[in-house]
Amino acid sequence: MFMLPELIIVLTAFVVLLLDLFFAEEQKKILPVLALIGVLIAMGNVIFWMPEQGVVFGGRFVFDSLGAWFKLIFLAASGATILLSWDRLVGKVSDAGSRLEHPGEFYSILLFTLSGMMFLISARDLVTLYVSLELATIPLFVLVAWKRENAFSGEAGLKYVILGILSSAVLIYGLGILYALGGSMVLEEIGKNLSPSPAFWLATALIVAGIGFKLALVPFHMWAADVYQGAPTPITAHLSVASKSAGLALMFLLFFRVLGPAVSEWNGFLAILATITMTLGNGVAIVQQNIKRFMAFSSISQAGYLIMGFIGPFPEGMPAMIFYLLAYLFTNLLVFAVIVFYANETGAEAISDYRGLSRTNPLMALAMMIGLFSLAGIPPLSGFVGKFFLFSVASKAGLHWLVAVAAVNSTVSLYYYLRIVRQMYIEPAEENAVRLPVSPVLASTVGLTLLGTVLVGILPGFYENIAQSVAAAEWWSIGR
Amino acid sequence: MIPTTHVLILSAALFSIGVLGVMLRRNVIVIFMSIELMLNAVNLSFVGFAREMDSMTGVIFIFFIIVVAAAEAVVGLSIILSIYRNRQTLNVDEYNLLKW
Repeated sequence: MFMLPELIIVLTAFVVLLLDLFFAEEQKKILPVLALIGVLIAMGNVIFWMPEQGVVFGGRFVFDSLGAWFKLIFLAASGATILLSWDRLVGKVSDAGSRLEHPGEFYSILLFTLSGMMFLISARDLVTLYVSLELATIPLFVLVAWKRENAFSGEAGLKYVILGILSSAVLIYGLGILYALGGSMVLEEIGKNLSPSPAFWLATALIVAGIGFKLALVPFHMWAADVYQGAPTPITAHLSVASKSAGLALMFLLFFRVLGPAVSEWNGFLAILATITMTLGNGVAIVQQNIKRFMAFSSISQAGYLIMGFIGPFPEGMPAMIFYLLAYLFTNLLVFAVIVFYANETGAEAISDYRGLSRTNPLMALAMMIGLFSLAGIPPLSGFVGKFFLFSVASKAGLHWLVAVAAVNSTVSLYYYLRIVRQMYIEPAEENAVRLPVSPVLASTVGLTLLGTVLVGILPGFYENIAQSVAAAEWWSIGR
Repeated sequence: MIPTTHVLILSAALFSIGVLGVMLRRNVIVIFMSIELMLNAVNLSFVGFAREMDSMTGVIFIFFIIVVAAAEAVVGLSIILSIYRNRQTLNVDEYNLLKW
């Protein structure tokens, strides 16, 4: 029964798809409610089983507390995406170009990618891992290209699908070599049998390239900006949070369970990868004019901070990464909720279009400012606490130069996040600017994510809670 | 019997041809075919490994890869179709709305 959360999501996806057939246009407005109820029930289920361990299908699918945290993150991100896309799918937006068609298909495809992500973190052999990874990615290609008549959306979808399949072909080639070296499909056994050899390094390089694509790490980040800009904005939010978390889940599985025991030292390599990822992400974000492209480079640099958690004395990095992912989830979705709100009403996506937002919609501007400050890492907010734990992992490993580089980078990032705050607060509003109406769904999304952004940082014992459940899952027991 | 090394060399060669095809060709359909070639090269390497180890699991994996490749082809080709309707071209150099 430990597969129940996934089964609930798949069932909800089919129910939404089937009801869409029979519903009249007017009745389709309850489809997002149904999808959201499914997500909430699955979430309750995961929380209920959190302390337990369960094995299904002879060890091919394992439910543990670390996986449960990842599943909660996927569920929360997808639930927020349902809320963000709600107004666009039921047609309650002022800007016609922001409207999305076919709510039934949209929500069922969104739920399918969610189920793929949830299967992924529980997978314990190569076949399950590969199939669930593809279940998580293929529906995303469709979602990115959702606006058929829009040339930008189609082009983004095409770029994503070609580079996505390319990266998964590279990854599967690496997994094939691992299968030959380990002589098994089970991740644990491969991990035990591996030892460094030229073929092993080839497999590692291919796997790093595949994972780097999913996480948008720097040499493999080229797709991110184009896809983020062209995709419908709620899907951009989903890509930047849920898809990135799925990439991290894949990296957890392959690094900690398979490659880890054979590689004695990967700190230097990961430190260089983290350095170039955050530096390039930050450097290019400074000059961006489109807010979605800007968020793409911001999320690339966030991924750079994130992989610092792999450096290590090992069990320490895991809770730090999961905590940062939670903080990033709330913060990034908060910023995207305001971006979606503004695009819904005006269709504007340039940073300069945000001028004077604090005069017309002061609360939205304030929420956006808190979100951006948390992304930059201003103290009481969750982004700062998350960065603090990640930086302390690197410093415990003795990589003080990396901590310095990361600190400089997060100062640089403050500069470009403040560019948007400056547009909102210092630049005057347009002459004829009026207060934009905020829909109840978006207002509550902003409220919830704002609450998360502030509370995750200041709740005492939250981090210890994660650290305890990660330690209970015993992910780093093999070979050490 | 053909040695496994030869199978692996063939698979690596096909994979590299696929990668080069993706990077050098400009027609989006040909790029797509090159990617399918890469996936089939992976299948071939799985056959070689499975035969060398005398184990069935590697062969079973191939069926999953084929199914996933078919799903990806469906999604990819339908996206190509929709973008062709918008732009009337299959040359990837002309898909240049999204850039710096």
